[in-house]
Amino acid sequence: MAAQQQLGREHQGITLRGSAELVAEFFSYGINSILYQRGIYPPETFTRVQKYGLTLLVTTDPELANYLNNVTEQMKEWLYKCTVQRLVVVISSIESSEVLERWQFDIECDKTAKDDNGPREKSQKAIQDEIRSVIRQITATVTFLPLLESACAFDLLIYTDKDLAVPEKWEESGPQFIANSEEVRLRSFTTTIHKVNTTVAYKKDSVP
Amino acid sequence: MSQEDSHEWELSKENVQPLRQGRVMSRLQEALSQQDSSSHTAVQLKKQEFEAEIRFYCGDDPLDVWERYIKWTEQAFPGGGKDGNLAAVLERAVQALHGQQRYYKDPRYLNLWLKFGDCCNEPLDLYGYLHSQEIGTTLAPLYITWAEALEARGSFRKADLIFQEGLQRKAEPLDKLQAHHKQFQARVSRQTLLALEESPDGDNMGLLEIAEPQRSSLADLKGRGKKKVRAPISRVGDVVKVMNPNRSCQPQASLQLPNTPAFAVFDENSVSGPEIPTLTAQSWPAPPVPRAKENELSAGPWNSGRRPRSSVSSGLEVPHPLPSFTPYVDESAQPQMMTPCKIEPSINCVLSTRKPEEREDPLQRVQHQQQDAQAKKEMVMYCKEKVYAGVDEFSFEEIRAEIYRKKARKKDEDEIQAIEQKKEEIQRRIEELEKKLKKKEDDKQPQPHEQAAEVMGASTPLGMQGFTFPSAKEYGEKQPQSQSEFQICEDTQLYKPSCSENVGLLPPPAAVPFFSIFDESSALTNQNISCSADHSQKSARQPLSVRNPVDSLSAKESRAAAAACDEVNGIERLSEDAIVTGSYKNKTLCANPEDTCDFNRAAHLASTPFHGVVAQRFPAPAFSQSELEEDSPESKSAPLNQETPECEGAYTEALSVKKLSPIMEASLEDTHSSGASVSGGSLSSVTQTSDIKYLQISEKLELAQSLPAEVVTDSGGGNLTDDDVAQFLWSSEQRKKLLGSVLSSLAASPDFHLEAGALPHMEIEKDIELGNETYCIKMEYWNNEEYKMFFAIPTGCSFQWDVKGFAIKVYSQPVPWDFYITLELLKRLNSDFDQSFSENCNCYLYQDGCAIVHKDTNCFTLMDILRDRKFITKEILFLVVHDLLHVVEKLHKAEIVHGDLRPDVFFLGDRICDAFSNEEVPNALKVVDFTHSLDLRVLPQVSLPYNFPTAQTPHGQQLLAESSFPYQVDLVGIADIVHLMLFGDHIQVYQENSIWKISQSLSKTPDSDFWSKLFERILNADVSCSTELNTRQIRKRRLLTKYQSSQGLLRQGVLVASTEQLHCV
Repeated sequence: MAAQQQLGREHQGITLRGSAELVAEFFSYGINSILYQRGIYPPETFTRVQKYGLTLLVTTDPELANYLNNVTEQMKEWLYKCTVQRLVVVISSIESSEVLERWQFDIECDKTAKDDNGPREKSQKAIQDEIRSVIRQITATVTFLPLLESACAFDLLIYTDKDLAVPEKWEESGPQFIANSEEVRLRSFTTTIHKVNTTVAYKKDSVP
Repeated sequence: MSQEDSHEWELSKENVQPLRQGRVMSRLQEALSQQDSSSHTAVQLKKQEFEAEIRFYCGDDPLDVWERYIKWTEQAFPGGGKDGNLAAVLERAVQALHGQQRYYKDPRYLNLWLKFGDCCNEPLDLYGYLHSQEIGTTLAPLYITWAEALEARGSFRKADLIFQEGLQRKAEPLDKLQAHHKQFQARVSRQTLLALEESPDGDNMGLLEIAEPQRSSLADLKGRGKKKVRAPISRVGDVVKVMNPNRSCQPQASLQLPNTPAFAVFDENSVSGPEIPTLTAQSWPAPPVPRAKENELSAGPWNSGRRPRSSVSSGLEVPHPLPSFTPYVDESAQPQMMTPCKIEPSINCVLSTRKPEEREDPLQRVQHQQQDAQAKKEMVMYCKEKVYAGVDEFSFEEIRAEIYRKKARKKDEDEIQAIEQKKEEIQRRIEELEKKLKKKEDDKQPQPHEQAAEVMGASTPLGMQGFTFPSAKEYGEKQPQSQSEFQICEDTQLYKPSCSENVGLLPPPAAVPFFSIFDESSALTNQNISCSADHSQKSARQPLSVRNPVDSLSAKESRAAAAACDEVNGIERLSEDAIVTGSYKNKTLCANPEDTCDFNRAAHLASTPFHGVVAQRFPAPAFSQSELEEDSPESKSAPLNQETPECEGAYTEALSVKKLSPIMEASLEDTHSSGASVSGGSLSSVTQTSDIKYLQISEKLELAQSLPAEVVTDSGGGNLTDDDVAQFLWSSEQRKKLLGSVLSSLAASPDFHLEAGALPHMEIEKDIELGNETYCIKMEYWNNEEYKMFFAIPTGCSFQWDVKGFAIKVYSQPVPWDFYITLELLKRLNSDFDQSFSENCNCYLYQDGCAIVHKDTNCFTLMDILRDRKFITKEILFLVVHDLLHVVEKLHKAEIVHGDLRPDVFFLGDRICDAFSNEEVPNALKVVDFTHSLDLRVLPQVSLPYNFPTAQTPHGQQLLAESSFPYQVDLVGIADIVHLMLFGDHIQVYQENSIWKISQSLSKTPDSDFWSKLFERILNADVSCSTELNTRQIRKRRLLTKYQSSQGLLRQGVLVASTEQLHCV
């Protein structure tokens, strides 16, 4: 991270590794934000952190933090290899195991970045500004998302290229779509190497 | 940037109230984008729509409307608050659906109440009420919400009780309730645990545990203290309520730092006293006692209280001691401020501040409302429930408009549906015909020669067939309606003669004093269009539909009158009250002249002025129509509803104030269909008339002046073209073959007689014997080699013009084609088979020919009328055109093309001929001759229009040149007859922009508009596209029908006049 910043300061550019790190970091904070905002974990298990010029909440639950770290590390690797296509946070009811919400981060990798090693022209600040606006929107979704009335659990799905070997502790899964859903597209950001489009889908009310 | 636009929600996220069920993004965007524009017209319109739907909902689930309205309100007004007025909507909904037992178990209804509870200050009362009324007591959400509310107030014990109650009642969905209960219990146990942990160490202990104390938002942060300025720390935990019990580990209670209260606070949870609160089913109808008023004195009678002092002291006026102190007024305490407002001097009443106490809680309002409703003594004399049904107030005009619109919509729908049905039918028919065609083609393969002519163009006509059918059929359906209109119109017309003004204007009765003739047509012409437009909307109203049963002469009349009387009850009151007063009506002792129904009833009872009118119905004074027209020219232009008041005085004036012309209000429901059936056999036959004959007609018309009776007898049939054509089309051989297949069925008919020997020779003034009857032939209509048409009377009777006789059609070949067609018509039309056709015909088949005797036929044909155009009054004209269309429509309905419509084919029906016929006889024309008719059902291929005589006429050749649509042949025939009646000569057509027009200028004719439309329609039947044609023709026909209906009364008089003229000659 620090190295990346240094690099950014010097060249005002971004490399593949730096990009992968930035995006993985975004996922880490993004997922934390979702878990907090949607009340998947009790709010008191979160602590405030300053990031992207915002106050974000990050879990203090060691188990959860560990799990998320694990995922973030894995994501970083895959992002670096440009083999990941999509990350989905599925929120489902514990009782009925019905999928209630689905946060989908579509990742567009510029695979050419793997070959040329030169940094791309985009300042870290610009990227972070974009990320900030995405995180802000995640926070703001409470205005339209339905109340999660029952206790919920979350699940992470990662769509990768087909040829990828499934690592340990990971298993294959279905897409877990919501049957009758309303979809809202949020902002997207790009590091010029990775572009992340965020969408949230939620259950539509039966009677409009 | 569109991206920016679509993220508008983010910018106003603070102004969007989260909803339990979430929001629809599109709606949210819409609502937010409209917030800026001052007029949210779309939203307002939608709201108006809901408001209207609430008022005029006629289904059986009013809750549905309310539910949609509420959900929409939630979505459309994201800010909550006043603009959406959700609380008001909920309040209204709750009020409107109050007491509807069937909804008590409906989750939607419970949901409504619970949402309403969220708007109330004291929802616990509401839950109690729901419980006591058994509303939603089988549903889990009630208990969950209730328990949550209690929990939020800290009454865990009660909350648990509620959960227990719900579980005991097995409220659905039970698993949800159980889950919530479990969570609740976990929360409570955690709290208790925490309390236990805290208690030994005191409150400070708890504080230390909080890693990062936070200030409560919006707290006072002003620094205090002298030496060291410190902001007061008023901190709270993260969230008051813990969502998930499993992972929570920290205290939540709001913590005030320094003040440990010096007194013990009663904690109901820590007390395990004997009095465990129990749920008692309290009946709610009594409003809960207002809670805040502890010190209220109950009012008692003043005189019962004992005076503390005797009368002695009462004399003494105890002076009020002046207070020895000055009341302290806090400096900061300002006198209560008025709401600052600019007071206009003209307005006296100053706006006062709202009294805070008055029923602020919507729940209380609802309660009071219901109380009031129960105790209500006053009766609302307007449709209050409609005016105040929704949140907005509706004006009477809006209500009225809505009723009007509803009717209009219904009518439109009906019409569309009718058209749809018709289309389907056409489709079906086309398919049928195509099938037939295919079959025929298959059959035809081995014998291509014989039917070569018929095969030509066989495929095209099928498409065209779809055209006229609908229109013709539609017309047929309108028929009963038009009949009824006749009657109504006659009712109204019959009133006319009693009008003194009119009588005054008229000269004494003239030569033919049988009938009153009032020229209404002119007046109606002006209103024609509006008439037809308004017609159906007002069809339910029929202010003048009543006849007096006492005065009816015949059984039929009284039947009609009885029906009419029944209708009075069904009539929608025209009075404004009907719309405005709702269910409560002013009951006045006397009839209300504003009320149409009362007016109608009064018409029966009152001796004046109605009595006179009715009495004069039958011995109606007669005026020749022409005289009337001359003498009262103003009647031509004056619309009818202006005339009415003159005639019928004050009462009608009241009617006309409402702009309801009695004629225009004539209803379809007033149908008394004709039952009488008098018909005769007349053997009319269309010979092989062709162009030449048509050309002769005009000359003959002139001749006819001098030779009225003997007319269109011989066209000789001797010209070459004629014969060629005859061979070309309908060789008797061909028909014979066709008939061969059905002869057995013909023979089965009781009216079919197979005679041995040769056909007797027929000649005028000779007697002939047919079957067992002997007839004396009096007249010959026409005569050619193959067919003859005679008029005969039974031997021994003296011949009179107005007595019915027999029309005898004689074929020189043993091919009873007419008989076949008549039987087919009877079979296919069933109940629609009426006096337009021969209802009583006998067929005598000889070896070398046949004779078909049509009983009960008048001796006049349409040709007789045409002979002297003076007799073709507007009434006759319309009557004839109407019936022409009527007859042809029926023929086409039966899939029969007549092919040779000429004036002399049509015998006059009783409607015209019988001077004493009543309006029950609807038919003015009768067609018995089917020489050239084509049965499309049997021979779908034989459809080339130029096979028909009509197609041989100059205009027919022109018009039908491109068309191969058999039905159009008859349309051309109609056009020609109409033209003959209008102008006295045959139709001449030219084409302009591929639209056929008649060469004659219609501009001088009265009703030129109408006629030009008629011609345009009839002549161009094949041009327009089918659906358009459908509707337009329907309308056209309706127009015609309408028009026609006003003509009812007069035909008799005129016709009698015309027949008498004939007598003289």
